[in-house]
Amino acid sequence: MMKPLLAALATLALAGGGALAHHGWGSYDASKPITVDGTILTSKYENPHATITVKAPDKVWTVTLAPTSRMINRGATRDMVAVGKTVSAYGYASTVEKDEMRAERITVDGKTVEMR
Amino acid sequence: MSDAAPAIFVALEGTALAATIRQSPYAYMAANVAHILSLMIFFGAVAVMDLRLVGFFQSTWPGSLLRRTRLIAILGFIGLVLSGSMLFLAEASHVILNQVFQIKLLLIALALANIAWFEKSVAPRVRDLQPHTPLPVRARLIGMTSIVIWLTVAACGRLIAYF
Repeated sequence: MMKPLLAALATLALAGGGALAHHGWGSYDASKPITVDGTILTSKYENPHATITVKAPDKVWTVTLAPTSRMINRGATRDMVAVGKTVSAYGYASTVEKDEMRAERITVDGKTVEMR
Repeated sequence: MSDAAPAIFVALEGTALAATIRQSPYAYMAANVAHILSLMIFFGAVAVMDLRLVGFFQSTWPGSLLRRTRLIAILGFIGLVLSGSMLFLAEASHVILNQVFQIKLLLIALALANIAWFEKSVAPRVRDLQPHTPLPVRARLIGMTSIVIWLTVAACGRLIAYF
């Protein structure tokens, strides 16, 4: 009796998870993923989300990352996103804040870490 | 840091304590967990009190039930204020400008005024009432108001992140 119910709940949780896993994704344009490549100009390794600014060819982007505890768990240490590193951030541009994007994942020195 | 905020909140966000909360991997997370646990303790007690005022649990002595649940509610409220202050401090200059947060503060003030009204005008009259005795109409009104306001406060709290 319980198994179909559990399966249904699990499906719902997984389906909803993408959209609801973290607040704030609603104000990002998920239909147009972008990749921001460049050198890290500033790095704030702070809660509730770490943020970096990245000098891309077109402009300087503010890239919102994840809570620091999650980043540490996944190996994205303070050093990995330190000033001067070259980063590639895949994610979505904000529909509210100018020149801000939220990273789905970042790659530094060949290492990729998921941000959600 | 938002320069649009009144200087006091920019200064609060600039304190060493605020920086510590942001920079520690655990402090912000711990404050978040403490806030929701405090909320459960607080609203659990508040719901029992308010439902008694509205007309549930009529077989209990209102005075004794209110006295015990009041203590739990106060403890929960202290936890809410402490953990909420940590969350606020970390981003004070942004959060203070958040309209949902402003509504939340206003509603908390209203809910506390509702409690003050109850403690002053109703609590002394129901303290010694026996079970199954009808409470003053005002008690029912205050209980319903309290439940509605506190639930709205909780909803506002969760919504701060989305506006």
